[in-house]
Amino acid sequence: MFEAKLAQSSLLKKVLDALREIVEDANLDCSSDGIKCQAMDSSHVALVSFDLSSDGFEPYRCDRNITLGLKLATMTRVLKCAGNDDSITLRSQDNTDTLTVLFESPNQDKTSQFEVKLMDIDTEHLGIPESEYSAVVQLPSGEFQRICRDLSQFGDSLVIACTKDGVEFSGSGEIGSAKISLRQHSMVDKEDEQVTVELNQPVTLTFSTRYLVSFSKATPLSSSVTLSLKAETPLVVEYRISDVGHLRYYLAPKIGDDEETEHIDDCS
Amino acid sequence: MGIQGLMKLIGDYSPSSVKDNGIKTYFGRKVAVDASMCLYQFLIAVRTSDGVLTSSDGEETSHLVGMFYRTIRMVENGIKPVYVFDGKPPDMKSGELVKRSEKRAEAQKNLAEAQEKGDFENVERFQKRMVKVTPKHSEDCQRLLTLMGIPYIKAPCEAEAQCAELVKGGKVFATATEDMDALTFGSSILLRHLTASEQKKLPIREITLDHLLTDIGLTQSQFVDLCILLGCDYCDSVKGVGPAKGLSLIRQYGSIEKIMSNNPKLNFPENWPYEEARQLFMSPEVVKADSVELKWSKPDEAGLVQFMVEDKGFRCVIINFSLNEIICAYSEDRIRNGVRKLEKCKEGATQGRLDSFFTKLPSPATASKRKATGEHGHGPMRKKSKLSTPLLHKKK
Repeated sequence: MFEAKLAQSSLLKKVLDALREIVEDANLDCSSDGIKCQAMDSSHVALVSFDLSSDGFEPYRCDRNITLGLKLATMTRVLKCAGNDDSITLRSQDNTDTLTVLFESPNQDKTSQFEVKLMDIDTEHLGIPESEYSAVVQLPSGEFQRICRDLSQFGDSLVIACTKDGVEFSGSGEIGSAKISLRQHSMVDKEDEQVTVELNQPVTLTFSTRYLVSFSKATPLSSSVTLSLKAETPLVVEYRISDVGHLRYYLAPKIGDDEETEHIDDCS
Repeated sequence: MGIQGLMKLIGDYSPSSVKDNGIKTYFGRKVAVDASMCLYQFLIAVRTSDGVLTSSDGEETSHLVGMFYRTIRMVENGIKPVYVFDGKPPDMKSGELVKRSEKRAEAQKNLAEAQEKGDFENVERFQKRMVKVTPKHSEDCQRLLTLMGIPYIKAPCEAEAQCAELVKGGKVFATATEDMDALTFGSSILLRHLTASEQKKLPIREITLDHLLTDIGLTQSQFVDLCILLGCDYCDSVKGVGPAKGLSLIRQYGSIEKIMSNNPKLNFPENWPYEEARQLFMSPEVVKADSVELKWSKPDEAGLVQFMVEDKGFRCVIINFSLNEIICAYSEDRIRNGVRKLEKCKEGATQGRLDSFFTKLPSPATASKRKATGEHGHGPMRKKSKLSTPLLHKKK
């Protein structure tokens, strides 16, 4: 038996919306620690993962590990039926192929219940090694979204360069080029609005703008976003979800046109 | 062509080794394409209502059109193709080749009859049967590929074997062919329908050899024996042995020799050269992967226009793919357009894939499925296992 209640149904909606930017279906792996998910886009360039700790749910019960295979479009439909302040309960009995979704209004006078059919989704899981990043940039999530959107008008690639002074985003294309620089600054009273760069080593990487724009759709989840960069390593874009966990995107960098350095992995 | 009944066997005994994916999944992958197979496909599929496409002086051009557009389609989707052409056929194949030319001769006879009767449907059918890939076709295509900046390799012998060698040597990710003997030669991943027409909207079918071998419980050499039993291009098959029987025989006895000594009643062909066939599959004549260098370069626009438009006379022809659709009138502009597309993909940095940075883990779902195979012995795996997860709806 699996049961998890979240006081804010809107939080789950935001998480699933962020997932939907990358994939159509996803497996939610539920264990006694909480709900985890990892999903990769069809071209294997981007990955989204989230980790919602059991502490964020009240109550949370998971007798044995189960995997909930969800069609995200279906879940979105169901979640649209929730009121803004409704709580949400996810429930799945052992040996059934459905998930029960229950919404309750704050004063408990309205409840709505939905049964969602689960799917068997064949997914590939990637092991993501812990890594020491050369630069970790924190900035307001709204600012990040704005930058991605603005630069998407100037070409398919976005270059992120981190130096000790700050971080610079640039793009260039047929119509011209654009450069947006953010300086490091901290405001004591408004922690969410500060820009910080923790730098071990200056680093410059190129990414596909299209994916970054998709990632920034997760902005409602958190007021700030963290970018972790390291040469020849996928970018990590992390949105912290207060008290519950985090949602991360990984994006493979664009690599120079050097055939020899390309690595062919064998997919067994 | 290929191995008789192998696809059926895979479908019955190891459905999970087959995956249907969109072409996007192969983004950034290098793929060895069996050129002879493609040429054959193009010669059959790319034609007008009155036969193959020809240039003004009567030369066939269907293969060039097909090659040009379908290569561009692959490149546009981020795939890096390398074409592998057949070399001289192995001596063992002569029997098969004689059969094929007999079939063609028969088609020719039928064609003449049908033409006399004015039976157009059959005319087309027999014409398609007469299609043969000639060295001239291959040369044309090699010239085209050079101009397009796409690498190709001339195999010393069988193209499928060379493709398999490239896969094994880590030079490419997979072999793209319709011919199932690529698996017998040991390509760890086989892609089907990669060069199919875009209009057909076929998903790419990926077959993973390791997964297949685990599911049917055979080693590669046992698998080769199984393929020989089922019937390959190099020797006759054993009458009365189909996929199910063949598999159970191999599982029971382990090799053709042991099957023969234990089952004298089976109808083995006389002087059956199974050992030579096995030799051919296990150590075919190939160029070693290490000595192959693959380079994708910029297309030569002027050269392409010269070759396709001037030499091959590509000017405003209306072509009709086998589906009776009028696709396009094409001319110099179309060639230049194609070049744009090729160039665009060459521009700037290439997008990396996540799985080249992170290691792939066996997904929990697959792991439990595999375990289930072990528990149930080697029985057919038609049903999806449901161990820890109550998930019944197979994603469609």
